[in-house]
Amino acid sequence: MKVRWSKLLIRALLCSCAVSGASAALAQTVKIGWLSSLTGPLSSAAIAENQGVQLAVEEINKSGGILGRQIELLTRDTAGDPTKAVNFAQQLAFSDKVQFVIGPVNSGEALATTPILARAGVPNIVIGALDELVDPAKYPRAFRAINTNLQWISTANNYATGTLKKTKVAIIADTSGYGTASARSAEQLLDKAGVKPVYVVLVDPNKTDLSDEMNKAKAAGADVVMPWSAATGLLGRLLNARGDMGWNVPVVGHPALMAAQIRKLLNKPEYWDNTFAAGYQSTTYGPDGKLPAPTQALVDKVRGKLGGGEIDVLFWWVALGYDTVKIIEHAAKTAGSFDPAAIQKALESTKDFRGVYTSYSWSATERNGFPDANMAMNAASTFKDGSFKPAPR
Amino acid sequence: MLTVVVSGLAIGMLYAAVALVYNVMFSTSKVLSVTTGHIAMLGGVFGAWFMTGLHLHWVIGLAGAIAVGALFGGLTELLAIRRVLNRSDEHLWLLSTLALATMVQQAVGLWWGTEPRPFPRLIDQTFSAGALDQKFWLPIALAALMAIGLEVFYRRTLFGKLFLAMSEDAFAARARGVSTDRIRVLSYVLSGALGGLAGFAAGQLTFAYFALGLTLTLNGFIALAVGGLGSNVGALIGGAALGLLNAFASHWFGGSYQQTIAVGLLMVVLLLKPEGLLGSKNVRPV
Repeated sequence: MKVRWSKLLIRALLCSCAVSGASAALAQTVKIGWLSSLTGPLSSAAIAENQGVQLAVEEINKSGGILGRQIELLTRDTAGDPTKAVNFAQQLAFSDKVQFVIGPVNSGEALATTPILARAGVPNIVIGALDELVDPAKYPRAFRAINTNLQWISTANNYATGTLKKTKVAIIADTSGYGTASARSAEQLLDKAGVKPVYVVLVDPNKTDLSDEMNKAKAAGADVVMPWSAATGLLGRLLNARGDMGWNVPVVGHPALMAAQIRKLLNKPEYWDNTFAAGYQSTTYGPDGKLPAPTQALVDKVRGKLGGGEIDVLFWWVALGYDTVKIIEHAAKTAGSFDPAAIQKALESTKDFRGVYTSYSWSATERNGFPDANMAMNAASTFKDGSFKPAPR
Repeated sequence: MLTVVVSGLAIGMLYAAVALVYNVMFSTSKVLSVTTGHIAMLGGVFGAWFMTGLHLHWVIGLAGAIAVGALFGGLTELLAIRRVLNRSDEHLWLLSTLALATMVQQAVGLWWGTEPRPFPRLIDQTFSAGALDQKFWLPIALAALMAIGLEVFYRRTLFGKLFLAMSEDAFAARARGVSTDRIRVLSYVLSGALGGLAGFAAGQLTFAYFALGLTLTLNGFIALAVGGLGSNVGALIGGAALGLLNAFASHWFGGSYQQTIAVGLLMVVLLLKPEGLLGSKNVRPV
C-alpha cells in the first residue's frame, strides 16, 4: 500500500512539474529595462520619452508581443543621479537579467552606465547625445538612436554661417560638463569652416541676469549669438536680455531654445522671434502645414495620454521613446531570437529602418544611427503642438 | 558696468536676507538650520503659484508666501529642532534640518516641476529699464527694510527683547520665567515669514525654481560667516560683498571662477577674522 501511494505521489509530482514547466514557458516574457530620470533635473524630456516607450510596449503586447513573448517593461527612475543610474543598471543587468536596456536619458548618467551594461553584454539603446557614449570596440552592444551632439552643433553652425551668412559668432555656454564640451566642439567646427568667434564665454547656469554677457557680445561686434546649454533658466534670461536691450541679433543654437518652458519665462512673447535651433525633419511642418504622416499618426495616438489638448512638450522626445521599443522589436525579429550576439548582428546590419523620429542605419563600425540628412533647422516661435515650422532659408 | 554692480548687489541682498533669517533662528536656538534657503524657495514658488496658478492679486500672493514661509519655519522647529535640542546631542540638528530640507525640495520638485517657472511682474514697469528694473531693486530694498525692522523689533518690542535675552543666556532667561520653548517656536515662525518674504521679493530675479534652496542656504551661510554671526548689519555687508564679488568675478574672468571666488572669500575672511567682520568674540570669563 505504501509503495503504491508513494508511486502515485511521484507520478503526481512529475505531472505537475510538466504542467508548470509548460505554463512557465508560456508565461516567459522579454524584459526591457528602462532607465529614465522621471523626477529630478531634466525630467521633462524623460517623462515625454516615457509616454512614447509605454505606448509602443502597449501596442506590441496587444498584437502578440515580440516573437510570441509579451514585453515586460522594468522602469527605473534614476532621478538624474548617476549613482542611482549605476545601481539600477547593475540590478537590471545582473539580478533582473533583462534582455535589453533603453537609456539613461541624461548623458551624465549614461557615461556611468554604458560601461556596466557593456560588461554585462546587454544590448543598450543609447538616447544620450554626448559623442563619447558609443564606441564599436569598447561598447559593442550599445547602439545610439538619438542624433549626436556634433550633429546638433554642426547643423546650427551651418545655418548661422552658411544660410544666414554670419561671420562674427558669439558663443555663450554654461559651466556644466555639457556646456563646456559643446562650446569647445562648436569653436573647433567653426574654426574648420574658417570662422573665428569674436566672443566666447561660460556662464553659471543659475546666474540671474545675462545682460552683461550680451552687452559684451554686442560690443565685440557679434552678428549672431550661439548658446550651448540645456538650462532653460539661462536660455530664457539670454533671450530676455537680448529683447530688453533692443538688440535684434539672431540666436541660433541648442534645441532647448525651442522648449515650451522658455516661452513662459520670456518677458514678452516676441522675444522668441529671430531664434532658431537644430531640430528634425520628422517634427517639422511641411510647406502644406502638415507633419510627415508617421509623426501625425503618432501624435493622434498619443494626444489623449498627454492631456488631450494642445501638446506642450517637444514631440521628438515622444517619437524617440516610441522608436526605441520598435528598434528592439525589429532587432529581435531580424535575429529570430533574443540571444545578445544575434541581436548585435541584427542591429549592425540594419539599414534605413523606418521609425517615426527618423530612419536608422548602423553598421559593424558605426554605432550612431541618426542620418545627417534628417536634421533640420526650426524657428522657435513657430512652436505648435510639439513641432515647428522650418527656419527661413 | 552699472548693471553688473546692481545685479550683483541684488543677488547679494537676497543672500543677506537669508543671513538675517539665520540670525533670527540662531538667536533663540543656537542652530544653523539647513532649511533656511528652502524657506526663500518656498516663498518664491508659492508666490508664483498664488499669482499665476490661482490668479490672485499680488498682495494676497505676498501674504500667502509669508504664511507658507512662517508655516514651514514653525514646522522646522517642531520636527527638526525641538526634540534634537532636548536630547542635547551636539550637532544632530545639522542632519535633521538637512533631512527636512531634502524632503521639502523633492516634494516641491514633484509638484511644481523641475524647470524654473516664471514669476510675474509685480509693479507695472517697462522691461528696458536696465539697472533700474524692479527685479534688482525689490530684493535690495527688502533686505534693508528687514534689517531696519529687525533692529526696531529687538530694541523696541518686548518679544524682541525676549529673543535677545534668550540669545545671551537661555538658562537665565528661563530662570526669569521666559518660556524658552514658546519663544523659540515664535522666532522660527518669524524667521520663516521673513524668508518667505525674501523669496517673494527676489522671485523675478531667480524665477520660481525648486532647486534654489541649497544654493541660498550655502551662500546665505557664507554671507553670515563673513559678516559675523548675530550681527544684522554684518549680514547686509557680507551679502553685498558676496554678491558683488560674484558679479565682478563673472564679469572679468567668466563663469567658471564664480564659485571659487565666493568660497575663496569665505576662507580668507575666516583666516583673518574667524568671528566675521562684525561678529563678537565669544570669550567666556573663567
